[in-house]
Amino acid sequence: MQAPAPSTPLAAPVYGPLNRNVIVLDAAHGGVDSGSRIGDSTLEKDVTLALAFRLRSLLTARGLTVVMTRESDAAQKPGPPPAGGSALTLDDRAGVANHARAAACLLLHATGAGEGVHLYSSELDPVPAEAAVLPWMTAQAAWVTQSEQLQARLGAAIRRADVPLVSSRASVRPVDSLTCPAVVVELAPESDDRNSITDGDYQQRVAEALAGALIFFVRQVQPPLLLPGDHAAGTAVQP
Amino acid sequence: MIYKHQRIVFWVMVGCIVLMATLLFLERQRGRERILSLATQMPLDAPAASTEPVTLDLANDSDGSIHAEQRQMALPVEMNARVRALLDQLIAEYSLPGSTHPLQQGSAVSEVFLLPLPVVGYTANTSAPARVDGESPASTPVAGASPGTAAVNPGGELAVIDLRSTFVNQHPSGVEVESLTLLSFVGTLHANVPQIEQVRFLVDGQPRETLAGHADLLRTYPSRETATVVTAGGAQ
Repeated sequence: MQAPAPSTPLAAPVYGPLNRNVIVLDAAHGGVDSGSRIGDSTLEKDVTLALAFRLRSLLTARGLTVVMTRESDAAQKPGPPPAGGSALTLDDRAGVANHARAAACLLLHATGAGEGVHLYSSELDPVPAEAAVLPWMTAQAAWVTQSEQLQARLGAAIRRADVPLVSSRASVRPVDSLTCPAVVVELAPESDDRNSITDGDYQQRVAEALAGALIFFVRQVQPPLLLPGDHAAGTAVQP
Repeated sequence: MIYKHQRIVFWVMVGCIVLMATLLFLERQRGRERILSLATQMPLDAPAASTEPVTLDLANDSDGSIHAEQRQMALPVEMNARVRALLDQLIAEYSLPGSTHPLQQGSAVSEVFLLPLPVVGYTANTSAPARVDGESPASTPVAGASPGTAAVNPGGELAVIDLRSTFVNQHPSGVEVESLTLLSFVGTLHANVPQIEQVRFLVDGQPRETLAGHADLLRTYPSRETATVVTAGGAQ
């Protein structure tokens, strides 16, 4: 009788680092880039920043660390000139988010078209594991599944708040370069009146719904597996 | 008194005038006959191109949908011009009063380039001997690094659409409205030019990050069906 061969222990799955306590908020546009014009005198960059401040307050009150890509009108690079002080590009914003290894990244936009909240996740096809070095333009591919989970949770919270919801997929710069669960949140007016987008109560209701969903999400999110042999977690490389 | 030699000169000149007049008349007649003979070979009307059914993926801002609608269009035979005509027809539809996805009137597409897949590039051939003048050595073609650059089917092509900055700068800003424009382009090409497998966009010949601040213009869009509603018929 042949003795059974000694079983080789299965290698435990290895996950990339993830800071469950960190949320990245990217208030889109800023400075000379005012985004779309909503109503007579409302600019997209102002609405996104106002919503980001409301979200930050709610999230920090719940013990989370919030990294914002801009906290004033213009997003500027830190440090001394000439690099410091210049405007952040979209790739710079993705770099800020990727360095944080955040549990969730929200890209905040605003529009005068439609009603309620529009949620978009990346259009990239998902890949099952994260390589050590990722192509910059498709770094999000390993995180698409987590992004869709975040989108579903945010969408459920928005519906519970009685706010109209549109949930879809879209290629919005720089979401495809992010190595975190990432969703584009586009705030639209609550009603036919475009100026309702600046209504404080409406923005607060949306922010509370988003914050509540984020709290639950960061506890449950699991980062993608690292490819065997890759010990350094996904570093997105710009071309 | 008129001298004899003066009379001779006079009548010689009269004869020359008559001869020249006769030659001019004959030349005019011959020229007229030549033109008439050419005219009979020319068609009386411009050749009428036969129309063919095309599918336009038309965006609707109100519900974020894309409707596939049939139209009858006369399209050029040359493929690049055909793609351009399709996209110009889309923009013409969007610039009509009452459009569900209103865009500015005017030509949106400057050029269309169709490249066979996989797209190859060129790299310096370091093994080649350096030239005497110190310039870079020979270059060799290399296939695209990404596996996504390969053709799915034989003969698959990448369509590079060079948009006009006048169109892009006037495009409405917003995630949905910009995405719908691009999906409308991609879906229409997929429906009418099946050999196009991938679509890229340039603006005035240069890469640009976004259409109007949101939709990604740097990525390569896979050609696919984008219509959420299919409508038969439609007048043109």
